[in-house]
Amino acid sequence: MAKAFQLLFSRYTLVILACASASMLALPLVLGAIWVKVLTSVTIFAIAAAGTSLVYAQLRLVNLAQVALVGVGGWIMLRLNHGTAFPFEVSLLLSGAGAGLVGMLLAIPAMRMRGLYLALVTLMAAGAFQIIFTAFQFPNGGDGFWGVALQSPGEMRRPLLAPGDEAYLRYTIAVAAICFIIVHLHQETRSGRAWAMIRQSEANAMAAGVDVTVYKVRAFVLAGFLAGIAGGLLAGALKILDSRSFAAGESVLLFAVSVVGGVYGWLGAVIAGLLYRGVPALFNNLGQDADLSLIIFGAALLHAIITAERGLAGQIADAFDGLRRKREETQ
Amino acid sequence: MIGIEALTVSFGGVRALDDLSLEMKDDVVGIIGPNGAGKTTLINVLSGFVEPASGAVIAHDHDLLAMKPHARARWGLARSFQKAQIVPDRTVEDHIRVALDFQHLPERDNERVLGRVLEFTGLTEHRRRIGARLNSAERRLTEIARCLASSPKIVLLDEPGGGLSQNETSLLQSLIGAIKQEFGAMVVLIDHDVDLIRAICSHTAVLDFGKLIAFGETEAVFRNEKVKAAYLGG
Amino acid sequence: MNIYGIFAVSGLAVGSLYALGGIGLVVLRRATGFLNFAYGAIAAAAAMTAWQMLEWGFWGPIAWLSSILTGVVLSASYGRVIAPGLAWRDPAVKAVATLGYALIILGLISFLWDDAARKLVLPTDSVGLTLFNVRITVTRLIAFLSCIAIVVATVLYLDRTRTGLHMRALADRRDHAALIGIPISRVETTAWSISGGIAGFTGLLFGDLVRLDPTVITFMVIPAIAAAVCGRLESLWLTFLGGLGIGVVEAMLTMFKPVAPLRSMTPFIIAALAILWMQRKQKLTFATGA
Repeated sequence: MAKAFQLLFSRYTLVILACASASMLALPLVLGAIWVKVLTSVTIFAIAAAGTSLVYAQLRLVNLAQVALVGVGGWIMLRLNHGTAFPFEVSLLLSGAGAGLVGMLLAIPAMRMRGLYLALVTLMAAGAFQIIFTAFQFPNGGDGFWGVALQSPGEMRRPLLAPGDEAYLRYTIAVAAICFIIVHLHQETRSGRAWAMIRQSEANAMAAGVDVTVYKVRAFVLAGFLAGIAGGLLAGALKILDSRSFAAGESVLLFAVSVVGGVYGWLGAVIAGLLYRGVPALFNNLGQDADLSLIIFGAALLHAIITAERGLAGQIADAFDGLRRKREETQ
Repeated sequence: MIGIEALTVSFGGVRALDDLSLEMKDDVVGIIGPNGAGKTTLINVLSGFVEPASGAVIAHDHDLLAMKPHARARWGLARSFQKAQIVPDRTVEDHIRVALDFQHLPERDNERVLGRVLEFTGLTEHRRRIGARLNSAERRLTEIARCLASSPKIVLLDEPGGGLSQNETSLLQSLIGAIKQEFGAMVVLIDHDVDLIRAICSHTAVLDFGKLIAFGETEAVFRNEKVKAAYLGG
Repeated sequence: MNIYGIFAVSGLAVGSLYALGGIGLVVLRRATGFLNFAYGAIAAAAAMTAWQMLEWGFWGPIAWLSSILTGVVLSASYGRVIAPGLAWRDPAVKAVATLGYALIILGLISFLWDDAARKLVLPTDSVGLTLFNVRITVTRLIAFLSCIAIVVATVLYLDRTRTGLHMRALADRRDHAALIGIPISRVETTAWSISGGIAGFTGLLFGDLVRLDPTVITFMVIPAIAAAVCGRLESLWLTFLGGLGIGVVEAMLTMFKPVAPLRSMTPFIIAALAILWMQRKQKLTFATGA
């Protein structure tokens, strides 16, 4: 018990909570209406990126279907919103759970494969979801199971706590902080140790008594859950979802920016979110072609893979370490 | 006690183990044989990584082959690997805790076991060091500490002396010799190193081309003519 | 008969493009270990180059050749500049790195050419013949026949030439290749160039037969990978058949109303099933990490 308490209030989680509170207070005050929206998206995709990063950092498995799972979460959220009177939070958890179940399906091929083949299977899954989303679209208040109407879409309700855009940004940041802490707690406890053993080799993990199936599935379910939460929040932010946002290429791009940001912690996930949604918006804002951001992503991805294995977050951490060491030396 | 009956393993056309029967019941049993004799295959069958074509393995009245690999580990079959399996970015403590995780002990007991195996292996001061910073002896010891933390009934050690210096090997030797007394587990030791086997194994089995060519008291086995011919080069 | 024929023919033509894409991927993958996600982006750049040349009034054959050349240059420069730094990395990491290149190329294309609708027209579009009451344009015929020709040529090349033999040796035992005196860098550059040339040619045909849209052509890499997967990323003939199969099934499904909107899932489903089938006996027990 004391151990759990200690973990929950470790330096890492306190830093997350501090950063989250600071940004909840400050961001809506200093940002204009458009940037509040952009940063909401950034935060949402940081949650999704945390899922991709988890699977890659802990199990060294490449999952190229994360944005497809965000789509699944978004679909469930809209479906529940237009079909039930559930409060936002209940629908959000159900979105996470639903996407987590789909994530569990992706764990099945991961039992027998890894590396390139697994990456390809997840990519094919992302492709299949792209077609499904394009064919059936997202519920907007229409009739029937698919709930798509041409005219007069129904209203997507936001949480009672956060009806306006600024409050919704705060709400999203709070959810993101909780998600990052959940991921961290997994990494620092039994699951994290089991994943580390599996990463070394499955024989090693089994010899240490780790049920490899259970822990692989757990990683994929957790990643799917995070994607689903992201999808639910995205539905709340945008109110209607467009199938084009969930193309297979988007999942690939999210994986790329996650690697660039750094897969080993929450900061990397936030950087990934900034790259994925913030940088294109910045280019647009500066009157530049958003396509240029693709070139930057591409170059950054190559850079990250060839030279900086821990991503930008790792380089930032190294820079801090360097500064601290310098200060200690001069004292 | 491990009873092996008519165990056969084939890889493609090759018989890695050929109708092997063996009953091991001493505190420390050695298995020796030239490369490719089937030693590691045997240990892999015991830990569940290789499925035998036929045969049975009974350990302390349990049908080992009916259990999944991780279930065998939880039941009390611990093992080390030829190449020590150490995760570069995890601490010595993390490696040991994995074995404690599935025992669901109260945290106080975890601490106690942790302290005990660290002390036994002499790793106490390396507790928070990460795998990447360990030398080969420390890596080996970490693995043994992990084995011992799982409250094992049987410990299988696959060439634990490989790549260690003379000093380190003699340390390891006294350590392995004390396992039964300290932790109550039977040890099965696989090695090329005749001196190591002679020093700590009361009984030894000799494998060659997947067949058992001798088994019995260690000294008697090494006097056996067939063993000398096959393994010690006459 | 007629309606089936029409869809079969269009499916064969598109399938030939998938197959061509898959073949270029397999050639490269065998020799260098890279699965090139930038393949589609290279094809897109090639198609846009051809369009631009025609727009500027260059003579057709020059424009067509320029597209193949674009493919060669883009592919070989990755092979010379970036690939060597990744030679010993995990195949999945190598593949993800090519994604970076794909993004760079796609970004450049979108920067250079705006989103306007374009059409790439080849003179062979207006010539055709009628077979079993189905009209087949020469472009489609070229796609199909050149696909066969390229498979045959590549197989012969790998079997009969010195560089081809070297490529196969590289594929089998990379670590030994340098020891037995194979000029790795030259052989790999050749593989990147051949693969890029095929990409350029595929892009040109795709721009004509399907759509001249950089993003669409870039993502053609996915069905091409699907075709390559059908050949275990190894066999050229199976890749060829896989590509054709995917194209035909996809086209034929148009006629079955309930699944018609989902027919583009065909490549993904076929490839996923192929992978699952191929890996069904795989065990990861002793696969080591990192």
